[in-house]
Amino acid sequence: MGHQERIDLDAPLSGDFQAVVRLIIGGIAERVDFAFEEIDDLQLAVERLLAEAGQVGSVHLSFEVGESSIRTRVGPISERAIADALRDGEVQPGHLTLRRILQTVVDSFGVEESADGRVVVRLEKLKGVP
Amino acid sequence: MSAAPRRSPLPERAREEDRVLLRRYHQGGDTGAREQLIQRHLPLVRSLARRYAGRGEALEDIEQVGAIGLIKAIDRFELERDVSLATYATPNVVGEIKRHFRDKGWAIRVPRALQELNASMSGAIERLTGKLGRSPSIAEIADELKTSPEEVLEAMEVGSAYSTVSLSSGPGGEEELDPLETIGDEDVEFERSEHRAALEPALGRLAPREREILRMRFEEGLPQTQIAQRIGLSQMHVSRLIRKSLSVMREELLRVPPGMSP
Repeated sequence: MGHQERIDLDAPLSGDFQAVVRLIIGGIAERVDFAFEEIDDLQLAVERLLAEAGQVGSVHLSFEVGESSIRTRVGPISERAIADALRDGEVQPGHLTLRRILQTVVDSFGVEESADGRVVVRLEKLKGVP
Repeated sequence: MSAAPRRSPLPERAREEDRVLLRRYHQGGDTGAREQLIQRHLPLVRSLARRYAGRGEALEDIEQVGAIGLIKAIDRFELERDVSLATYATPNVVGEIKRHFRDKGWAIRVPRALQELNASMSGAIERLTGKLGRSPSIAEIADELKTSPEEVLEAMEVGSAYSTVSLSSGPGGEEELDPLETIGDEDVEFERSEHRAALEPALGRLAPREREILRMRFEEGLPQTQIAQRIGLSQMHVSRLIRKSLSVMREELLRVPPGMSP
């Protein structure tokens, strides 16, 4: 799928700015004509990742906007536990983990290693996928 | 000659029943008694919460905040006090609600028009979902409410804002650490990082309804629209509860020492 437009954002990890990040995601997703619930899903995915990334410093987010999809990258993040959590195998029934949350709210996700050993989490959200 | 004022036997009996339950909880550690006290006084919370309705915040959210005040009052009640639980709880509940509004700063920061738009969005989303058979887009919601997509997004954010105060304050009393106090403690966060991935130990701190919503969303994989129908809430409210619950659970994990179940 071709991603034509890209938006980059450096945001403080402090909770005070979560609302700003959410608003920006809403604005980007609205351009792709995402449904209310799809926007909410993507906002929740990013919100949970930012919550796990800590409260200190800032984080880079990039959004590649396609005709009917948004690819979001969050990171690099120093918190390697996130990568381990997302790389784990199948989530057991009844367990609520970060992996389970992302499996539910985005269409696909993955972990990319950055050169300095930190991790970038990639989220793919498509329009109109039930 | 004037008759001596007579106390209605009903409140007197209720007051005595409260004291029995309070004794069972405070002296015997009976958490079932605590739960009964909460249930008995929820109508008081609802009544007080209604005074603060119409300020751009969903009544159910205000009730939940008020319930935190009630729980704190139950936990802090001293049996030696010659006062009813309802009397003691009222300023706690009102204080919690006022603090909630003050923390959010809605009264001064959010324009009234945006609060009203937020309040009307919920109904618009329900109508459109019913009409379209799917979750509406922002443009469709804007069209329905005769406003711009940007204003709808802003109003959405107004609705998504919430207090990070735990919904499930435990019976720890004054010495219990506020969950917020632990956030930002890098060493603690680092040590507990391995626990972050698994949120389920903190599920027990949520109310049954919130647990059920999380189960439907993340285990059954139901969309918010269906959960909203099943539970009888608006989709926006379901969304807020999911967010709030996940935040509460994470705060709980940071609060509880590694290796200990909440």
